Amino acid sequence: MTAPGIEVRGVWKKFRRGEIHDSLRDLVPALARRVLGRIPKSGALAPGEFWALQDIDFEVRPGQALGIIGSNGAGKSTILKTMTRILRPNRGYCTVGGRIGALIEVAAGFHPDLTGRENVFLQGAIMGMPAHLAREKFDAIVEFSGIADFIDTPVKRYSSGMHARLGFSIAAHLDPDVLIIDEVLSVGDFAFQRKAFDRIATLAKSGIPVVVVSHQLDRIAALCTEALLLERGRIAHRGPAADCIATYVLGDNRAPVDAADCPVRLERLAMAGPSEVRSGDWARFRISGTVLRPVTENLELVALRIRALQTGEVVFATSSSHCEVELPPIGPFAVDVALQLNVPAANYVIETNVWDPIRHRDASPGPTTRIEVTEGASFYGPVQMNAGMALARDPS
Amino acid sequence: MSHRPDSATAMTGRQSVPGPDGPLESSTPPAGPAVAGPEGAKGRPGFAAELREIVQDLWHYRELLYQLTLRDVRIRYKQAIMGFGWALFMPSLIVLSGFLVRIVMAHLSGTTLETSSVAGIAVKAMPWGFFVGAIGFATGSLTGNLNLVTKIYFPREVLPLASVLAMGFDTLIGTAALIAVLPLLGVTLSAALLWVPVLALLVFCFTAGVSLLLSCANLFFRDVKYIVQLLLTFGIFFTPVFFDAVMFGPTGLHIVMLNPLAPLLEGLRLSVVQGHHLLVPLIETTSSGQQVLVWSPWYLGYSAVWAVLGLLGGAVLFHRAEFLFAEYV
Repeated sequence: MTAPGIEVRGVWKKFRRGEIHDSLRDLVPALARRVLGRIPKSGALAPGEFWALQDIDFEVRPGQALGIIGSNGAGKSTILKTMTRILRPNRGYCTVGGRIGALIEVAAGFHPDLTGRENVFLQGAIMGMPAHLAREKFDAIVEFSGIADFIDTPVKRYSSGMHARLGFSIAAHLDPDVLIIDEVLSVGDFAFQRKAFDRIATLAKSGIPVVVVSHQLDRIAALCTEALLLERGRIAHRGPAADCIATYVLGDNRAPVDAADCPVRLERLAMAGPSEVRSGDWARFRISGTVLRPVTENLELVALRIRALQTGEVVFATSSSHCEVELPPIGPFAVDVALQLNVPAANYVIETNVWDPIRHRDASPGPTTRIEVTEGASFYGPVQMNAGMALARDPS
Repeated sequence: MSHRPDSATAMTGRQSVPGPDGPLESSTPPAGPAVAGPEGAKGRPGFAAELREIVQDLWHYRELLYQLTLRDVRIRYKQAIMGFGWALFMPSLIVLSGFLVRIVMAHLSGTTLETSSVAGIAVKAMPWGFFVGAIGFATGSLTGNLNLVTKIYFPREVLPLASVLAMGFDTLIGTAALIAVLPLLGVTLSAALLWVPVLALLVFCFTAGVSLLLSCANLFFRDVKYIVQLLLTFGIFFTPVFFDAVMFGPTGLHIVMLNPLAPLLEGLRLSVVQGHHLLVPLIETTSSGQQVLVWSPWYLGYSAVWAVLGLLGGAVLFHRAEFLFAEYV
């Protein structure tokens, strides 16, 4: 009996660019070799091939929830496909112990002409749900999807939301030993999304091994104990989910910008005081730089962004023009900034840049720094409002 | 709990490809028992092991096979006025065309058409209709479900097999009707009817094997479905459905019987209509007093070999190509 868990060991996977069959002449022998089992040494790349995954190595044990993040084309889905046996790696191997519950394309097996009821059993079977389980869970599935009134209507008459909700509900009742989730966290309306997320969180926290692929970093942060950052098929970072997301978010903002002709260069960002601030308190820092030539363009010369590292979300942005600060026409300058950190306790990054509001991008990136906001006056919610309460003297 | 520990280990064996042999630095473990799994360092299980794996996978996914068959049966006649009437209409049409062809032939040669000949056509129309329908549906079964093939894992064998089974269901409806009609055509009960299930099984195996091969081939080359369409259209000229193989004379008979379906169809006709025991050769005397061989048990053996090897070979080839499906679609 294999213990539930996912083991991915030294997995390499190559793909080809362009059309797969260039001509019958080179395809037939290649296919014949593969079918007959004489696979050539798979280490080398033929022309036009590239590594979609390179030496991916990790494991997920019970109690672990692993998030996989990275930009489009980094190899996230390819990893999931090797885990679910859809793709076979060129080198290395994946083993998954136990029954896989894959929340990937949860409505892929629906046939438009069949009713919701018929599709529940069909999709359930496609996902590997045993017949008795499908019958047992049928009522729960319909109840969860919230479309009981339409369960005997052909799904071609469903709205896309109903379609997705029914699909998700089936997948959510799989009772898997191992859970694999690919971008299905945003189905249906707001209420259903919350319900779906709660359901996944319950499954994830029940102690089964979980792998989640998502671009919604806050979901990864909330679900996962650990995360992998993929960059062009390689593991660029692995660690606690928050760290990994931070690496991803920071790396992403260092995208090269052609800053050569920017009239202002931001050089230093210095915190006045510790980089740990209580929620609701003031943080003070100084941004220094140089005006290289007289500014004729419409630019926000000293812009700053506060980004929550857990989610990558920008929670606040402003600039010298908004604060009505004029820089000297030429030469070095320094701007003192004070920020009241009315945000919940978490890690943030302060990014400085010269902002081009017309093209809506950084004209030149500046230095960044991390700041940790610690628990201040107790509150709950996304904003620190520095609540004050006092007992009224005249309660009329 | 783990439902499929053996296939998990089997997968380790199949998926591991040994050796850091590339130009890039790699921590791939070298080939060895730890990586290569129970099959040893060769990394590829043998024919028998693969068959066992296919059967295990199919057994594990039997519910899916059932559901997909049910789906194919249900959707075929949804929003169709005649509904399941089509399952009767299609074979009736084959029988009717055969009947017309034979009447014309009889008229030209100045003889009359016997009811037993009509019964023979009716009996052979069933497996032929099944074969044509099943191959037609199965060929497109993988390409018609690409969203499943590229997204969700399950043994892909179930897709063509479900098409074959769904067509089998149709044929059963037709057969039920045929059983009601046959006594009117002068067919009586005989011990030879016991051959029918054997022949039906062989037809099924052969069809399933061909379906597996063609569906897989069509995934790689979309030309296959056009070729199949052509072959099925003209196949009726090379398969003794409307006519009997013996009409071609002694040499012609052997040639016609090279078609693996021919002995199965002729066997059905002989056992059902003439009550002939298929392990015994049948020699008929023609009107001119000539002794003509109509049936030899070797024909049956020949078809049986085709059916069994076709199914096993088709299944194993399909299984070996299966892991390429998601990449090559």
